[in-house]
Amino acid sequence: MISTLFLTQLQILINEAMTEFSAPDYLPALPEIFLGGISLILLTIGVFVGNRITTLLTWVTSLVLIAAVVIILSLNINDQITFGGLYIADTFGTFMKCLVLIGGAITLIMGMSYVKNEGMKRFEFPILILFATTGMLLMISANDLISLYVGLEMQSLALYIVAAFKRESIRSTESGLKYFVLGALSSGLLLYGATLVYGFAGGTSYEAIGNIIESGDLSLGLLIGLVFIASALAFKVSAVPFHMWTPDVYEGAPTPVTAFFAAAPKIAAMAVLIRVLIGPFYDAFDQWQQIIIFISIASMVLGAFAAIMQANIKRLLAYSSIGHVGYALVGLASGNEEGIRGVIIYLSIYMVMTLGAFGCVLVMRKRGQMIENINDLAGLSRSNPPLALVFSIFLFSMAGIPPLAGFFGKFYVFMSAVNADLIGLAVIGVLTSVIGAFYYIRIVKIIYFDKPKDSFDKPINIEITATLTLTGIITAFFFAYPSPIISGAAIAARSLLP
Amino acid sequence: MALYVLPIFLPLIGSLISGVLCRKLSDRQAQVITCLLMGTSAALSIVIFHNVILDGNIQQIKLFDWISSGSFYVDWSIRIDELTAVMMFVVTSVSFLVHIYSIGYMSHDAHIPRFFSYLSLFTFFMLALVTSDNFLQLFFGWEGVGLASYLLIGFWFKKPTANAAAIKAFVVNRVGDFGFALGILAIFLTFDSVSYDIVFNAAPDISGTNFVFLGHSFDVLTVICILLFVGAMGKSAQFLLHTWLLDAMEGPTPVSALIHAATMVTAGVFMVARCSPIFEFAPIALSVVTFFGATTAIFAATVALTQNDIKRVIAYSTCSQLGYMFFACGVSAYSAGIFHLTTHAFFKALLFLGSGAVIHAMSDEQDMRKMGGIWKMIPLTYVMMWIGSLALAGVPFFSGFFSKDIILESAFAAETGLGQYAFWLGILAAALTALYSWRLIILTFHGKPRADEKVMAHVHESPKTMTIPLVLLALGAILSGYFLLPMVSEYHDFWGTSILVLPEHSALHDAHHVAFWVKALPTIAAVIGIGLAYYLYMFRPDLPPKIAKTFRPLYLFSYNKWYFDELYNYCFIKPAKYLGYGLWKQGDKALIDGIGPDGMANAAVHIAKRAIKLQSGYVYHYAFAMLVGLAAVITWFLFSRS
Amino acid sequence: MIVEQITFYIFAVITVISGVLVIGSRNPVHSVLFLILAFFNSAGLFVLMGAEFIAMILIIVYVGAVAVLFLFVVMMLHIDFSKLRAGFTRYLPIGCVVGIILLVELILVLTTGTVDFNIPKNVISQIPNPEAISNTEALGNLLYTQYAYLFQIAGFILLIAMVGAIVLTHKKRNEVKKQKISDQVNRDPNTAVTLHKIETKEGGTWKSD
Repeated sequence: MISTLFLTQLQILINEAMTEFSAPDYLPALPEIFLGGISLILLTIGVFVGNRITTLLTWVTSLVLIAAVVIILSLNINDQITFGGLYIADTFGTFMKCLVLIGGAITLIMGMSYVKNEGMKRFEFPILILFATTGMLLMISANDLISLYVGLEMQSLALYIVAAFKRESIRSTESGLKYFVLGALSSGLLLYGATLVYGFAGGTSYEAIGNIIESGDLSLGLLIGLVFIASALAFKVSAVPFHMWTPDVYEGAPTPVTAFFAAAPKIAAMAVLIRVLIGPFYDAFDQWQQIIIFISIASMVLGAFAAIMQANIKRLLAYSSIGHVGYALVGLASGNEEGIRGVIIYLSIYMVMTLGAFGCVLVMRKRGQMIENINDLAGLSRSNPPLALVFSIFLFSMAGIPPLAGFFGKFYVFMSAVNADLIGLAVIGVLTSVIGAFYYIRIVKIIYFDKPKDSFDKPINIEITATLTLTGIITAFFFAYPSPIISGAAIAARSLLP
Repeated sequence: MALYVLPIFLPLIGSLISGVLCRKLSDRQAQVITCLLMGTSAALSIVIFHNVILDGNIQQIKLFDWISSGSFYVDWSIRIDELTAVMMFVVTSVSFLVHIYSIGYMSHDAHIPRFFSYLSLFTFFMLALVTSDNFLQLFFGWEGVGLASYLLIGFWFKKPTANAAAIKAFVVNRVGDFGFALGILAIFLTFDSVSYDIVFNAAPDISGTNFVFLGHSFDVLTVICILLFVGAMGKSAQFLLHTWLLDAMEGPTPVSALIHAATMVTAGVFMVARCSPIFEFAPIALSVVTFFGATTAIFAATVALTQNDIKRVIAYSTCSQLGYMFFACGVSAYSAGIFHLTTHAFFKALLFLGSGAVIHAMSDEQDMRKMGGIWKMIPLTYVMMWIGSLALAGVPFFSGFFSKDIILESAFAAETGLGQYAFWLGILAAALTALYSWRLIILTFHGKPRADEKVMAHVHESPKTMTIPLVLLALGAILSGYFLLPMVSEYHDFWGTSILVLPEHSALHDAHHVAFWVKALPTIAAVIGIGLAYYLYMFRPDLPPKIAKTFRPLYLFSYNKWYFDELYNYCFIKPAKYLGYGLWKQGDKALIDGIGPDGMANAAVHIAKRAIKLQSGYVYHYAFAMLVGLAAVITWFLFSRS
Repeated sequence: MIVEQITFYIFAVITVISGVLVIGSRNPVHSVLFLILAFFNSAGLFVLMGAEFIAMILIIVYVGAVAVLFLFVVMMLHIDFSKLRAGFTRYLPIGCVVGIILLVELILVLTTGTVDFNIPKNVISQIPNPEAISNTEALGNLLYTQYAYLFQIAGFILLIAMVGAIVLTHKKRNEVKKQKISDQVNRDPNTAVTLHKIETKEGGTWKSD
C-alpha cells in the first residue's frame, strides 16, 4: 500500500516529463546562466593565479554584475515561464534583480579598500559574492517551491561563508556560525512548510498552489504551511521575531559584507516574500495579511526602540534595517497594486540610503584601524565637512525627513496603508518613525555639535567617494526627478498582480 | 529645442559653478563664467524674442514628468509664447547688464563668487517662473525668486539691519505666498489640474459657479483670482504688503536694480497677465486689482516725496509704478501693464544703477542731505539720471511717456467708477512722480556740496564696467517705448493668444479714442511737477522746510510712510510675540514638553533598555525566539479559524 | 499487508526514539551512534515505500560518510559537552512546553485536512507498471530532464560549500616542509651556490652578508 504510493507519485512525474519534455527555452534565464558561467571561469582563474589578482577579480566581478543588469534590461522579458515551470521571468523580477545586482556591484567596489587593508584579500571573496548574487537572482525568479529553496540555499550558503570570511577575527567567525545555525533552522522551517503545502495542495509549483487556493479550498494544512514558509522568509528579511541574528551578524561580519547583507539579500528575500504571497497565496490574502501586519508592527516597534541605546554604528544600522523592513511590510500588508508599488519604491530608496550609510561607516578609520563607535563621529563636521554633510543626508533620509528620498519611501507605503483601510498600521508606522528619528538625529547631533576628536584617516579613496557622491545625490535630489523609480515600480507591481 | 532650453538653464549652470566652487575660483573666473553664460542666455533670448514675436513661433516643450500621483499630474514643461518671450528678453538683458555692472560695483567685496552665484541663481528662478507651463512650476519659480531675494538682501549678513531686512522680506512675502498657494489649491480643486492649458480652457465653463463656505455663497473664479492676487501683492509690494520693499534696499545696489525694481517685483504683474483667461471672468477680482493698484500708486508717491535716502526714494517710486501696472491689468489693459513693465525695467534699472554710481562716487553715502553740487564731477552719471527721470516722469518721447499714457487713458476709457478713481489718482501720482524725481536730482547733484571735504575730494566717475551698462540701459529707457509701441497698438495683434481680453472689456481699444485733454493731462502733470521741483528746491530752497513745519502732521505722516510699520508692529508683531512667549512658557515647556517629548523620550529610553536585554548573544535563545514566534502565529490561526 | 504495517511501525518508533536519544544522551559518541540508528531506520522506511535507491543513498552518504565524519570529529576534538549542556535542564521545561504546543498543533493540522496525493488531476496518461522500470532509472529520467535546472543549481551549491570549506579552513603553513619538484628541477647552480674567500683564523667570526 505504502510502497505503491511513492511509485505512483514518481510515475506521474515521469509521465509528465517523458511526454512533455523538450529542450527548455534558455533565453529568459540568460542573466543567471551568464553569471553562473562567468563565476566558474573566474573561480578557475583565481585558483590558478592566486590571491594576487583579487583586486582585478573584484573589478571584473562588479563589471559582470553591471553587465547582468544590462542583459536583463535589454532582454526585457515579461511573463515567460521556462524550465518546465520552475523559472519565471517578469517585470517585477527584472526590477528587483536590477536592484540586487546594483547593490552587489556597489558593495564590491566600495569595500575594495577594506578587503585590502583588513587581510581579506583572497580571490574567493568577489566570487562568493557573485555566487550569492546569482542565488538571489534564482530565488527571485523561482516559480516553484523547490526552485525557491535551491536558490535560497545557494545565496545563503555563500553568505554564511562571507560572514565568516575574516577568519582570524573571532567576531567574524562567530557571526558566520550564528548565521549558519539559525539559517539552517529557517531552511528547516521553509522545507517543513513546503512539505505541508505539497501535501495539501498536491504540487509545489506556484500555479498548482494558486489553483487550489483559488478554488476556495484553503485547508488548515495549507495555511500552516504558509505560516512556516512566511516565517522562513521573514528570517531572511530579518523581521521580528525572526530578527535576532541580525544585530550580532551585522556587527561581527566584515563591514563590506554587512553592507552587502543590508542591501542585496534583504531585497531579494523581500521580493520572494512578495512573489509567494501575491502569487500562489493571493486568494488567502485575508489570512496572511494578519501575519504581515503582526511582524510589520513588531519590526517597526523593535527597530525604533532597540536602536536608541546602541553605541556601535553597525549594530545601530542593523536595528535600523529591521525597522525599515517593518515599514516596507506595511505596503505588503495593503496587498494591492499601490501597496506593492510602495514596497518596491521603499526598497529602492532603502538600498541607496543603506549603501551610502555603510559607505560612511567604511570611512571610519583612525590610524589604520577601523572603528565602529558612534561617539568617534564627534566633530566630524569640522574635520571633514563634506563627509559630515553626506552622512547627515543619509541619516535624515532614513529618519524620513522631507524632502529627502526616505520620506517618499515612507509616504508611498503609508499612503497605500491608509487607502487600504489600515489606518491603525499607518499611525503606528508614523509614531515609530518619530521615535526612530530620535536616534538618527542623535548621530547628526554628535557629528555637528559634539567636541571634536581626532579626525579620520585621509584621503578617502576614490571608490568610496564616488559611491557616497552618487548615493548622496540620489538621496538628496530624489524629489526633483522621482518618476523613473516610481513609474518603474508601478509597472513592476502591475506585472505581479493577477 | 536647445535654443529654448539653454537660456533658462545656463544661469543655473553658472550659479552652480561659481557657488559650489566659490572657494576654488578666483573672483575674476567667477565673474567671467557667470557673465559669459548670462550673456549667452541674453543673446539667445533675443533670438527667441525674434522667433516668437516676428515669426509667431510659439513653443511648448515637455522636459520630463515631475509628479504623478493619482489624478494629480504635473510635468516640467517650457511654455514660450509672446508674454514669455517679452519677459525673457527683459529678465535676461537687465540681468546681464547688472552682472556686468556688479563687476565694478562689488569689486571691493570679499565674497564675489558667492554674489555672482546668487545673481545667476535668481535669474534662473525668474526664468523658470516666466517659462512655466503650469501653476506648480510657477510656484517653484515664485518661491525660488523669493529665496534668491532673501539671500541677496542678506548678502552682507554681518550687518544686523541687512539680516533683519532679509527676514522681513521673507516673512511678508510668506503672507502673500500663503494666499497664492491657497489659490493654486483652489484651482486644483476646481479644475482637477494645474496645467495652464486645461485651466484656461475650462475657465469660461466654470465662470458663474458658486461654492458655499460658512453659509455664504462665493463665486469660485473670484475667490481664486483674489487669492492669486494676494500672492501678487506680496511679491509686487502692493499696498498693505509693501513694507518689505523699503527694507530690501539694505542689499547691494545692483540687487535692488535687478530684483527690487526691474524683474522680481514685476512677477505679480506677469502672473496677473498670464492668468488673464481667469481674471477676465472675475470682474469683482479685477475691481480689487484696480483699487489696490491705484491706491498703491498714490500712496507710494506721497511717501517718496519726503524720504531722504536716495535708494528709498527710487524704491517707493518702484512701488508706485507697480501700482500703475496693476490698475492697468485691473481695467483689462494687460498689454499696457506689461508694456509699462518692460519700459519700467529699463529706466528703473537705470535709475538704480545710476544711484549706485552716485553712492559709489560719494564713498557709500546714501543720504541725499549729505550730497549736492557734484554734477560737474560725474557728468555721465548726471546725464544718465536725467534720462532715467525723464522716462520715469513720462516726458514725451521717452519710453515712460508711451506706457504711462496708455495706462492712464485705458483707465479713463474703462468708464467705470474705479477707472475714474484710478485715472485721477494716477494723474496726481504722475505729478508727484515728477516732483520727487527732480527733488532727487536737485538734492543730489545741485546746490552747495553738503558732504565733508574728504568725501568731496574722492568723488569720481565710475569705472567702465559700471558706465557701459548705464549707457545701454539709457538707450533702452529712451528707445524701448517707441519700438515696443506695437504691444498696445490697436493695429497689431502683438500678444496672440497669450493674453485674453473679453470683447466687452474694451478699455485698451477705447483708450486710443479718448479726448485730447485726457491724452495731454499726464504730460501737463509731469511738467507741473518738474517746474514745482525746480521752484522749491533750486530757486527757493528755504521753502520746503517751512512747508514741512506748517503742515507738520501731514509731513510726518508721509515721512513715516503712513505709519504702516508702526501699525503692523502694534497689531501683529507685538500680540504674536506675546502669544508666542506665553505658548512657549506655558504651553510648550510645561504642558507639551513635559508630557510629550521629554516624557516620551524617557519612556523610549526605558523601553530601549529592555529591548536590548532580549539580545543575549546566545544562538539557542535566538532559535528559541523564532520558534516561540512561529508557535504564536500558528496558535493564533488555529484559534481564529475555529 | 499487516506485515508491512507492523514493519512500518517498528521502523517509525525506533526512528523517533533514537531521534530523542540523539539530543538526550550524555555521551556525544552515543549521540552519533543513535543518529546512525535513526538513519538506518529511515532507510528502512524508504524501502517500505519502494524507494530503494534513496534508501541506499541514505546509508551510503549519511551513514557511510557524514556520520562517520561526525564520529571522528567528536572523538578528536575533545569538546567538553557537559559545559555546553549546562543550561539544558534549566531551559528544559519551557522548551518542552513550546515543543509540545507545536507538536499538538501540527497533529491537529494533519488530522483536520485530507492529504491527497492524487491531486495533480491534469495528468491523463496511464500509470505504467512499476515493475517495468527501475527506481534508479526513473529518478535519472526525471533529474536529467524535468529537473535538470534544479540539478545544476544543486551542483553550484555543492561547489560553494567546497569553496567555503577551503576558504574558511585552509591555511598555508610555512613550517611544514613541502616538496616542489619543479622548483627543485629549476634550481640554478649560479644562484644556489656562492663562494666566499675566508681568511685563515677568521672562520669563527665570519658572517654571510
